Amino acid sequence: MAFAGILNEADVTAALAACQAADTFDYKTFFGKVGLSGKSSEDVKKAFKVIDQDESGFIEEEELKLFLQNFSPSARALTDAETKTFLAAGDSDGDGKIGIDEFAALVAPDTFCYKKFFELCGLSSKTPQEVKDVFQILDDDNSGYIEESEIKFFLQRFVPGARTLTDAEAKSFISAADDDSDGKIGVDGTRHANQTAFGAKEIQTQVTLMLMISPRMASGMQEKQYTPSLLSFFIYNPTFGPREGEEEKKILFYHPSDVEKNEKIRNVGLCEAIVQFTRTFCPTKPAKSLHTQKNRQFFFEAEDNFWIVMVVRNPMIEKPNKDGKPPTIEYQEEEILDTVYGAVVRQCYSMYKLFNGTFGRAMEAGGVELLIQKLEKFFYRYLQTLHLQSCDLLDVFGGISFFPLDKMTYLKIQSFVNRVEESLSLIKYTAFLYNDQLIWSGLEQDDMRILYKYLTTSLFSVHINAILAFPCGDHQSDFYSKTHHWNIYTTMHSYVLFRFLTGPTNLKDPEAKFRFPKIFVSTEDGYEELHLIVYKAMSAAACFMINASVELTRDFCEQLDGLVGPQLTLLASDICEQFTINRRISGPEKEPQFKFIYFNHMNLAEKSTIHMRKTASVCLTSVHPDLMKILGDINCDFARVDEDEEIIVKAMTDYWVVGKKSDQRELYVILNQKNANLIEVNEEVKRLCATQFNNIFFLD
Amino acid sequence: MDGVAQRGAASWENGTLAPVDRLRTERADSPTPGLVEGTEPGAGQKSAMFIHAQSFEDLTAAAEQEVGREAELDQPGECGEDLKVLVGEQAIEEQHNSDIASESRPKEEDVSSETWRSHRKHVFVLSEAGKPIYSRYGTEEALSSTMGVMMALVSFVEAEKNIIRSIHADGCKVVFLAKSPLVLVGVYRTCQSDKELLRELQYIYYQIVSLLTLTQLNHIFKHKQNYDLRRLLAGSEYLTDNLLHRLDRDPGLLLSAVTCLPLASSARDVVSSSLQAAKSKSLVFSILLAGDCLVTLVRKKDQFLHHIDLHLVFNLVGSSSSFREGEGWTPICLPKFNTAGFFHAHISYLEPASKLCLILVSTDREDFFNMSDCKQRFLERLNKRSAYQALKEAVKCPSYSVEQVGIPELRHFLYKSKSSGLYTSPEFPAVYQSDEEQERLMGLYQDLHSHLHHPTRPLRSFYRCSETENLLAWVTSGFELYLCFSPLGTKALAVSAVNKLLKWIRKEEDRLFILSPLTY
Amino acid sequence: MGEEHYLELCENPVQFEHASSVNNVFFDEANKQVFAVRSGGATGVVVKGPDDKSSVAFRMDDKGEVKCIKFSIGNKILAVQRTSKSVDFINFIPDYPHTEFTQECKTKNANVLGFCWTNWNEIVFITDQGIEFYQVFPDKRSLKLLKSQSINVNWYQYCPETAVILLSTTVQGNILQPFAFRNGTMSKMTKFEIELPVIPKPAKLSLSERDIAMATIYGQLFVMYLKHHSRTANSPSAEVVLYHLPRDGACKKSHVLKLNTTGKFALNIVDNLVVVHHQSSQTSLIFDIKLKEPDCAVNTHQPVLPARSIHPYRIPLSDSSSWSVFQPDIIISASEGYLWYLQVKLPPTVNLLQDKGKLMDFLLRRRDCKMVILSVCSQILEGGEKGSLPVVATVFDKLNQVYKEYLEAEQTYTVAMESGPSRGSAAQKRPVRTQAVIDQSDMYTHVLSSFTESRGVSHKFIIAVLMEYIRSLNQFQITVQHYLYELVIKTLVQHNLFYMLHQFLQYHVLSDSKPLACLLLSLESTYPPAHQLSLDMLKRLSTANDEIVEVLLSKQQVLGALRFIRSVGGHDNVSARKFLDAAQQTGDQMLFYTVFRSFQQRNQRLRGSPSFNPGEHCEEHVVHFKQLFGDQALMKPSTV
Repeated sequence: MAFAGILNEADVTAALAACQAADTFDYKTFFGKVGLSGKSSEDVKKAFKVIDQDESGFIEEEELKLFLQNFSPSARALTDAETKTFLAAGDSDGDGKIGIDEFAALVAPDTFCYKKFFELCGLSSKTPQEVKDVFQILDDDNSGYIEESEIKFFLQRFVPGARTLTDAEAKSFISAADDDSDGKIGVDGTRHANQTAFGAKEIQTQVTLMLMISPRMASGMQEKQYTPSLLSFFIYNPTFGPREGEEEKKILFYHPSDVEKNEKIRNVGLCEAIVQFTRTFCPTKPAKSLHTQKNRQFFFEAEDNFWIVMVVRNPMIEKPNKDGKPPTIEYQEEEILDTVYGAVVRQCYSMYKLFNGTFGRAMEAGGVELLIQKLEKFFYRYLQTLHLQSCDLLDVFGGISFFPLDKMTYLKIQSFVNRVEESLSLIKYTAFLYNDQLIWSGLEQDDMRILYKYLTTSLFSVHINAILAFPCGDHQSDFYSKTHHWNIYTTMHSYVLFRFLTGPTNLKDPEAKFRFPKIFVSTEDGYEELHLIVYKAMSAAACFMINASVELTRDFCEQLDGLVGPQLTLLASDICEQFTINRRISGPEKEPQFKFIYFNHMNLAEKSTIHMRKTASVCLTSVHPDLMKILGDINCDFARVDEDEEIIVKAMTDYWVVGKKSDQRELYVILNQKNANLIEVNEEVKRLCATQFNNIFFLD
Repeated sequence: MDGVAQRGAASWENGTLAPVDRLRTERADSPTPGLVEGTEPGAGQKSAMFIHAQSFEDLTAAAEQEVGREAELDQPGECGEDLKVLVGEQAIEEQHNSDIASESRPKEEDVSSETWRSHRKHVFVLSEAGKPIYSRYGTEEALSSTMGVMMALVSFVEAEKNIIRSIHADGCKVVFLAKSPLVLVGVYRTCQSDKELLRELQYIYYQIVSLLTLTQLNHIFKHKQNYDLRRLLAGSEYLTDNLLHRLDRDPGLLLSAVTCLPLASSARDVVSSSLQAAKSKSLVFSILLAGDCLVTLVRKKDQFLHHIDLHLVFNLVGSSSSFREGEGWTPICLPKFNTAGFFHAHISYLEPASKLCLILVSTDREDFFNMSDCKQRFLERLNKRSAYQALKEAVKCPSYSVEQVGIPELRHFLYKSKSSGLYTSPEFPAVYQSDEEQERLMGLYQDLHSHLHHPTRPLRSFYRCSETENLLAWVTSGFELYLCFSPLGTKALAVSAVNKLLKWIRKEEDRLFILSPLTY
Repeated sequence: MGEEHYLELCENPVQFEHASSVNNVFFDEANKQVFAVRSGGATGVVVKGPDDKSSVAFRMDDKGEVKCIKFSIGNKILAVQRTSKSVDFINFIPDYPHTEFTQECKTKNANVLGFCWTNWNEIVFITDQGIEFYQVFPDKRSLKLLKSQSINVNWYQYCPETAVILLSTTVQGNILQPFAFRNGTMSKMTKFEIELPVIPKPAKLSLSERDIAMATIYGQLFVMYLKHHSRTANSPSAEVVLYHLPRDGACKKSHVLKLNTTGKFALNIVDNLVVVHHQSSQTSLIFDIKLKEPDCAVNTHQPVLPARSIHPYRIPLSDSSSWSVFQPDIIISASEGYLWYLQVKLPPTVNLLQDKGKLMDFLLRRRDCKMVILSVCSQILEGGEKGSLPVVATVFDKLNQVYKEYLEAEQTYTVAMESGPSRGSAAQKRPVRTQAVIDQSDMYTHVLSSFTESRGVSHKFIIAVLMEYIRSLNQFQITVQHYLYELVIKTLVQHNLFYMLHQFLQYHVLSDSKPLACLLLSLESTYPPAHQLSLDMLKRLSTANDEIVEVLLSKQQVLGALRFIRSVGGHDNVSARKFLDAAQQTGDQMLFYTVFRSFQQRNQRLRGSPSFNPGEHCEEHVVHFKQLFGDQALMKPSTV
């Protein structure tokens, strides 16, 4: 048997069995199964020789065809289709056969496959023009090409610190997009590739993602960059274990859970000490953060004596040393913005509160035990959706992006909502979104803010989150399989005309459960518990909230489905139509020319042309992270006094950054006009305000 | 208008760091394109007087490396009585020390009171054993427990192989600086950046070192872990108090630079050369001060004075009127020069009433009479030349009004020439008469400064338009410029003002700066 | 029961001496006059018009029994028919000879069936052999034949409004020949046939005068044929068939009104409704030919409302002879000497017509509908059987449909007027504003304002309704009046629904106006964001820079105000004093310094000197400045 000594018999038979039927062969799974992926390059070479029967040094198509029979003579030949794909996948230099390196690449455990990747991050597709724009943003040296070297850092650009692609991956990636096989992806190359390999949007994603990477990281592989990461997250209440030796009782939740007890106690102790100590100087204002060389700790007294603490490790660079000395680690202490992560902690609490109500409530209901359970249940999942490396100014704002819409269509939506609420009197509040942007909310601002966060960063975009499965490898993926109540499956039916995003997937299903997530919103006197029904038709989504004390029945859901489904679908197409019309009028080209973030504290309205997409897990910005941090710094300055202010700075990279604060509004603009002067920059900003914000009052 | 805009554009261009050459290239009349460090207005001609830090960054870099500077200094040991000498003097001085009297510390403050808490800046110095060494407000005794906690925090974090930096609460910050064997803690209600605050703690640290030398400090604590250092420092706290006061008000400490007494270059040259002439074997530095302004400084070849050391000298002189009594002779450690040993400074005023104070820094502790002789020679030369009169005249108006620049909206500015480590700035205008206002303005400058010098995100320029004033800061390879405009000034105005101002400074530079420093 | 009568006889009927052996009574539809002729007129003739003023009394010699008597239009000439051959005339024009004169009908051995005045001096004789059209010359006491047409006539009908005479010809009488008259001309219109239920064998006159009536409905002339059911023909019940009779062109069958019953009927037209009185049941039905019936063919109609009897009378079964019905809306009881106008009472219809949409269609076409419609609106909003939002929406849409049409007519009219009466001005006449036009102020005053106050209704519903109304207005591109917005805002504020308010403004659902901006400002105390909102609004109005400055100053944002005024290029001509005052009031010295200096610089720029003009009245400020900062801080007159 040809592979004797290289492969384990059982594996081989299993692998072959798996692909008995025609067109079921997939080389990746196969190599995985036969265990070739794991093998040393030596073994791989051996294997290659076996397959390369004519010893030409290449596996030709016909050899490939009989590929399986190398493993067991009785095995079937590959179908032409299979052979073709197999070859295409392997043949990265396009010579029609598979060389030894190419084979090695094939065999190597490539978790990354651009197709899969792009399927997963199905970003809203862009026009060729937009593709071009983004492409140019990327192409700093204006070479007009994305070179292979850049592709290698693909994932890192997505999330700094992620692994680089293997040569094979990079190759197959390039070859997919590179139509003129010059080893580079040109703009036209991308355009062409749009039709063939993958859609415009993928290129767009790919290009955008690349922008994420900072020069520090681009600088090469020998230096390793670690992004800020979650060291620990715990919740304690000092009053629970006042006496010596009872300290452990104070701790209600501690992540990571496997930390040794005494260390937990020690760390909590430190926090207590810090808080106490700070009181001696400002009794009224509690400590918010502790800076140390290696990390930052953020304190938040969510409720009386209930403290939430998040410890974030500073980003660091690991510089390998010659002559085998341990690598020197350099902590970048100024990279983390307190405001951003302070906001993240508060957000954690709000999110808990949205689904569980206050800590106090749990205590009343079932004492500490219950509270601990709830915290465990919630944060275990939630913490894994925190992606600290992609937090920025938008987390500070925690804003809501509103969908631009003409008056008439808006009124139509109004009367739709009103009618539904009238005919289904159970419904207490309604929220209406389109394209993940809010149009109408019956909830109060702060409740809507957090609900919106949940909808946009979690419910609507689980499939986006899934991308993270591979940049950050490890156990992420199995986490998602766990989070079923977050309705991943619904997104699988995203092509269905209209459906429930929460609750029953399929009304017809006799087994269907009519359980919906429960949320807590504030009222004049405390809070109320509500069922959250999210119903989607095309790009329009309506959230209906119903008092939780009511039992929701199949009848009700069917009634709702019957009433809302058709109307909502109709509205959705209306909106879409209107939107495109307005777009044509205003001219979409205007948009990308300015990079800005806008936020209005009054109605939480938020707008960013910097973020291509913002979810809990992904933040695709089209600007350098350092610029984002400068925005953060300016924001801090603004926070200090509540007067109108304007700040214009020129970074060392010669980018101009402008911050404007007028009444409750904040506007941040990034201009890439290296030799502009203050006056010209000011003019630019004026122009921006004229085009984008002509209908609001901005102090000059 | 166009013209202005364009010139604006031009002047904002700059920035390319051309290779630094100190050789005097012909000076452009404004630092528009191709400005080379050392050619900016106020740049020293031959060489600088200071080992000048480009800016304050190197402060935070571990500062203990100067050991083994050639100047042979007497090593500690009998520095014990040196101190007594110094302290002794202070003891006498205390009572008739006008500016201290005003500054006398409300020691007896109740440390649990609101007033105590609400001080803008607290500074605590403690030993690694947690023993109180200094507190700006309230008695150390009353605070021993608090300081205990501080030390606990520091060491707790250390135990994790980590270093505590700062604690942040709304409107209140605690900054830690561990400088073995000392720990310095600052508690601030200002919105300065951590780096700024660290810099201030650094100054305090150096102040203490300058009294004892680091060697001495280490020596003491090695032998007696929980030694109460206050015994040694008793009576010298006012120096620290004063330094803290300066930190709030003196742009020099912010810019890591010193300002000069405006003086016709001819006159200044005479003074310098007179000093130069009055040399002596062990004489390292001769410094002539007029209040807080430098008149001139002459140094031994390739001996540089660090501006921190100079500021410590300023502080020492400014803090005690004792030197008016006649000739003072005091050991002083210049930590940036050498933390290990003492210099000996001959400090005396040219005339009892005058602001002009001469400091002669010698390496030899037996050199007192030598030094006073040098002083005599200097005075004679000076009197021979008519320069002395001119000098006295200049002392009468040690500053100038911003009106002279002729930009109505311009209220105030700071200009630092990087290569010479000198800065110039007009007196405060009418609106900034009160101390609060002046300190507020300083606060704003500090803010700009920390933005421009952000450790990881430094900026080329920073413009802020607020309710009280419009500020513009601009740093190039050659200079740092901070301007304060009326809040109704426009950006166009700011841009043109920069050019106008730089031209003006260029015009005035030989009055405002020391262009030709001398060595023996 | 009582209030369900939707038909009634007018309050004050015309009274006259009831018919008797000595007193004959005649009615002239043209002038709506009742003639009481006592003993052939010898003992006097009393003519009662529709209103008492126009009642005339006179005597005339008894020359035999009067067959027919009518005034020409304007009571100029009286025509009396006593024989079947001739008609006598008497001048009623002052100082014209009074003595009667007579006109024989031209056609030999023809019998005059009757006559009708088509003008003050034009008269038509209808004989069994044709018609003769004369002009009367009262001064000459003679007539001149203008035109005549010979044709066999069974009977005739005259419609005064349109001056059309309808002749029944042929043996069966179901071929109708209309003639139209207009000053001096007689035009023959195309004749048409009424389909009879059964063709009698042998042929005999089978279309009786009583079953035909002419009237104008919605401005169109119709011939109404009361088609009785017949056992032979399978028509289950009687129906009224309407033939549309255009001025020119063929007459065609256009509507069928299903009576769903049989018996004796009489027709009236009231307010463009066809009223059918059913004698046996003593009830009446009404039909609106414009009401489309979804469930049956286009031009057949069911009664709008269930049958009801006329209030307060019933049509007495007994001597129906003494009750006669005239077009369009007249009922006369000769025996009792009364003439009534029939009237439609709208309020009862509201409860009889369940479908509110249909009800609106019905009401919107009635004459005095406004108050009723408004009451219906209030009813569906507040009343016991509250309408659902969709219903409310349809009602609003129907109202605004009419409203919009009117506005457009107005619009085109005014445009035409502006473009000068020269072009087609004749055609252009000011569109009449019917009661059906219900504008926003009507809705506001009579419905919405009270509705929003009402206790019983949930604010959710109130807001929903207001939004519906605004939606509807927008849909018809009618500019919404600000007081509606104010209503919305008040309601929202009342229930602390500020976030909703914010969203509405965000999407410009409440469009901008100064009053609205001011209202928002007034809310600031309860809802701070209102400040921002109002400023935005003022900004968008772009005509409110002064207001903006005021607002900013009121918030002590003196710098903001100055910067703003500068940005709109107005800072060279603002009053220094105003800003200096504001700055001084803040007590902020720095601010005062800034403002003061900036004005000094303005002076410098404008006049070459920093000092203020006496006219500016800034002396006290100069003093204040000196006090604070000393003279040297004052800007020196710079020479550059």
